[in-house]
Amino acid sequence: MSLGLLTLIVLGLAAFGFLLGRGRALSSVKGDPRALHSLPAYYGWSVALATAVPALLVLAAWLFVQPALLQGQIAAQLPADAAGSTDLAMADLRRIASGLDRLEGSLPAADLAALTQDPAALRGQLASAGVALGAEIDPAVLKAATDYRAAATRGQGAMVLVVALIAAAGFAIALWRIRPDLRARNLVEQLTTLVLIGCSLIAVATTFGIVASLVFESVHFFRIYDFGKFFFSTTWNPKFGGGSDLGLWPLVWGTLYVSVIALVVSVPIGLMAAIYLSEYAGRKVRSFAKPAIEILAGIPTIVYGLFALITVGPFLRDWFAQPLGLGASSSSVMTAGLVMGIMLIPFVSSLSDDIINAVPQAMRDGSYGLGATQSETVKQVVLPAALPGIVGAVLLAASRAIGETMIVVMGAGAAAKMSLNPFEAMTTVTVKIVSQLTGDTEFASPETLVAFALGLTLFCFTLALNVLALVIVRKYREQYE
Amino acid sequence: MTDATHPIAARGSLLVLDPRTKARKAAETRFRLYGAAAIAISILALVVLLTSVLGNGLGAFRQTFVTLPITLTEKTLDKSGTRDPEVMKKVTTIGYSKLIDTALTEALAAKGLSTEGLSKKELSGLLSQEAAATLRNQVLADPTLVGQTVEVKLLANGRVDGFFKGRVTLESAARDSNISPAQLELAQKMREAGLIGLGFNMAFLTGADASELRPEAAGLGVAILGSAYMMLIVLVLSLPIGVATSIYLEEMAPKNRWTDLIEVNIANLAAVPSIVYGILALALFINFMGLPQSAPIVGGLVLTLMTLPTIIIATRAALKAVPPSIRDAALGVGASRNQAIFHHVLPLAMPGILTGTILGLARALGESAPLLLIGMVAFVKDFPSAPPEGLMQPATALPVQVYQWTQRSDPAFVERASGAIIVLMVFLLIMNAVAIILRRRFERRW
Amino acid sequence: MNDMRILERDVETQTAKMTARGVQVYYGDNHALKDVDIDILQNTVTAFIGPSGCGKSTFLRCLNRMNDTVASARVLGQILLEGEDIYDKRVDPVTLRARVGMVFQKPNPFPKSIYDNVAYGPKIHGLTRSKADLDEVVETALKKAALWNEVKDRLSAPGTGLSGGQQQRLCIARAIATSPEVLLMDEPCSALDPIATAQVEELIDELRSQFSVVIVTHSMQQAARVSQRTAFFHLGNLVEFGETGQIFTNPRDPRTESYITGRIG
Repeated sequence: MSLGLLTLIVLGLAAFGFLLGRGRALSSVKGDPRALHSLPAYYGWSVALATAVPALLVLAAWLFVQPALLQGQIAAQLPADAAGSTDLAMADLRRIASGLDRLEGSLPAADLAALTQDPAALRGQLASAGVALGAEIDPAVLKAATDYRAAATRGQGAMVLVVALIAAAGFAIALWRIRPDLRARNLVEQLTTLVLIGCSLIAVATTFGIVASLVFESVHFFRIYDFGKFFFSTTWNPKFGGGSDLGLWPLVWGTLYVSVIALVVSVPIGLMAAIYLSEYAGRKVRSFAKPAIEILAGIPTIVYGLFALITVGPFLRDWFAQPLGLGASSSSVMTAGLVMGIMLIPFVSSLSDDIINAVPQAMRDGSYGLGATQSETVKQVVLPAALPGIVGAVLLAASRAIGETMIVVMGAGAAAKMSLNPFEAMTTVTVKIVSQLTGDTEFASPETLVAFALGLTLFCFTLALNVLALVIVRKYREQYE
Repeated sequence: MTDATHPIAARGSLLVLDPRTKARKAAETRFRLYGAAAIAISILALVVLLTSVLGNGLGAFRQTFVTLPITLTEKTLDKSGTRDPEVMKKVTTIGYSKLIDTALTEALAAKGLSTEGLSKKELSGLLSQEAAATLRNQVLADPTLVGQTVEVKLLANGRVDGFFKGRVTLESAARDSNISPAQLELAQKMREAGLIGLGFNMAFLTGADASELRPEAAGLGVAILGSAYMMLIVLVLSLPIGVATSIYLEEMAPKNRWTDLIEVNIANLAAVPSIVYGILALALFINFMGLPQSAPIVGGLVLTLMTLPTIIIATRAALKAVPPSIRDAALGVGASRNQAIFHHVLPLAMPGILTGTILGLARALGESAPLLLIGMVAFVKDFPSAPPEGLMQPATALPVQVYQWTQRSDPAFVERASGAIIVLMVFLLIMNAVAIILRRRFERRW
Repeated sequence: MNDMRILERDVETQTAKMTARGVQVYYGDNHALKDVDIDILQNTVTAFIGPSGCGKSTFLRCLNRMNDTVASARVLGQILLEGEDIYDKRVDPVTLRARVGMVFQKPNPFPKSIYDNVAYGPKIHGLTRSKADLDEVVETALKKAALWNEVKDRLSAPGTGLSGGQQQRLCIARAIATSPEVLLMDEPCSALDPIATAQVEELIDELRSQFSVVIVTHSMQQAARVSQRTAFFHLGNLVEFGETGQIFTNPRDPRTESYITGRIG
């Protein structure tokens, strides 16, 4: 039974429970709703919620717990490789299991059963179904895979049964409890509040999920790759045969170089644009320029990426890099930095606009009253007053620049280098996360797992910048409230 | 400094500017100019960006077609004469391409165009490799065509298409192994004779992706459908969850460290790089929960998690904008807190919530980085079926399709990628316009 | 000071520092100030009183063209500073404001040190040649504003850290550091407690020896205490203008009398 169907059944039962509960409440007082503690609909809701909420919660929990339990169980069966890790075998197992799932649709059950006894034939069949396996199938792995599938099927059956039982139990109990003096409204409201709290915990769960998945896989990585080499080596040279150099520094260098160029472009332009719009521009200019700049903010990064790839890159190559003898690559730090700078202009300008507007008018008046010109007022009074907020905005922009992916993937290049020449192709942390994780990935190799360590580095970096920026901006706002 | 006993020493006339004031005024003008320049640069960047994408991409909506009268001989297509599509499927595209070749030669002869110096292969090379498949599908869909002579519109080769759009020139063709200048000259003559022409390219919007060698046949259908599926999931999940979270935090939650933690958390989630969400999806949904790669369900889930903070922030702002007097009024007539929220506050905040949701969806629609990691860059030629099964089948998404096309070597794909961007931007424009209209229509000032 | 004017209404012979003739102010379509004629005399404190919204602050802001910063404001009529029209096209408001300084309702020190707050005006107008000069200007201004003894040990502390009354005196020091000829004060004590108010009022009286002071106030007692001449505004009209003593004891206009006795306001 599919997940969707099960959910639908539970929800259907809940809807039925609503009608039944409402009816039962009304009939218990012979159709006179005034004799009830709450409105009749609340009795219906109490049944519906009691049916659906616990059942769906259990369903969601089951979906998370079952794979973890199963894997733990199956891993014990698997042959360990030289390093004592079962990761490789586990990856094979997953592929075989998913391949068998695909074959199940096209092959009769008997054929499939026969295939599971014959690893060599199975490999051919799997390949034709689009699941390519690197090596011959280890019989032990195959055995584990079939066990795994069987266990998964059993688990799913159990899940359906348990969820259905819980839904039915909730349905029955809630229905049975309906009496005229049942405080149905209070009950429903308590349940609703619980659901609302549950929803707001999803945000926390997301953070937890991000941290857990990054840390978990990074620990895996550092078990097979030297910690010191990752953090202190200056060469990045992954080889898919093993023996890779996975030093962080060339990527960090590229990331910082691109980000610095992006900030050098976006901070002055964005800041001056904000100053002009809030201090100088007339209503007409503002009503035209402000939305135009906001459009820049609404453009997806993939569009900026394409812009870098087909317009800015070739332009910089033909007009600057080649005439100056600085290189012949259209993807370069400069390309990515420039385009990212354009992307960040509206970000910087709208943040600065808010911050500049938060500076009290009285302060400007004070300066004008002394005979300062507008620019003197901006430079010597408004900007110093807004400085903390602007620093916060720049930090946020920096965090954006560091975490930006598509522009650097399409504009910066893929060569891990530490060079000062801005017209040379270099690469960034995000580019390498993408390139190490796209395509057919083997989850046991350091070349793939390094992406998680990179992701963790990126996450910590941007988190630190964001928190710092938020704290600064918050302090700044309090100052003028 | 002026003398203390005579503080109001005579200064110059107000009407004459002293040099220092002149210099200050000049500095003022310069500063103003810097500001105007910053605005000008931003707008210039926007204009260049849009024109470069539009200029490159508009061509994708027009395509070169060859119109040929083709005699669909029964002997090659349906030997049995039963007109049963199942039987006719045995004839592969090779059989059809022979028919097309014959028809092309005849049509050229009829127009009196010389094919001298061109091999048979070069002649059929004028057409797309997709042409035979197009014809076959047409015939299989309507077997009664067999035996007749029908006018068929077939795709021209990508290079021929590029020639008419100015991307390919006779000089570049001379260096190109895929096309020769002689072929292009013939194509030019065919155009004058009315055999070849440019027409609106519906297949770009409805067709599936095509392989590296046939850019002329590549379409966005799967990507649009995949994006639509993901938006559906994002809408269905993020709107209720986002609204529920906001109601709890804004209306019910006590102010304590725990709720403070949730708030800081949400603010930070909004600023986590999108690629990190991709890693989360890969590790959690695909590796841990075993959901299939490239599936819209995974994309939809990860985009939901990314959109949630946006929707929560917008919803909380909308709830905050409803004045407390409304709540007091409801509580004053004996409504419970939940009733006050669900009967009064929430409906009043709904326009703001919907606006925020649409803007969140628009951002999710343009997001590509996390989708790269969950395998949506795969080459997908088959349309996913209808939901719910379709949610588990491989698909791509609009922005990812753009990325994928830019990674291919044939320059014709640049045009496709830019065209896809135009489609994406049109969708974004519509969504933003709807949001603006909603806001204008229902905005309430308290 | 060759352009001397003798006021017709005034018995004393004193130099008129500023003269306003037929001043009209519009905010968009709103006629905020109607046909005002006033002379600001040298070494005199002139008080503007009247109910809120009567145009007294508007007129004050005309005197150093602060209304220029409000896009919708239009000023008609003639205002002369020492015989020169301050609304002349050739006049830069920047130089005008150096000569006609202003102190605002709410103390608004800049987010800088106390020293930099006071030095701001002299710096931007280039009034000093050396750091020593500047130090002297700052010290003199702070002394005149009766703040020197309280802050001389912490000149580099932020100006925002002072108490309300100190902040307002800092703003006065800031305004007099540019050695203006006229000092405009827009309800300078409205945000202050009674003790600080008393200090500032005392200060205003001392400042009279060197500047013409114009003060807008909503407190009639304050006007009576600090000013020599008083103007009463009502609904955008200048109702009565004359000796403070005469206005408060023997008003000519019935509206002035109603206001002073508390019937309108």
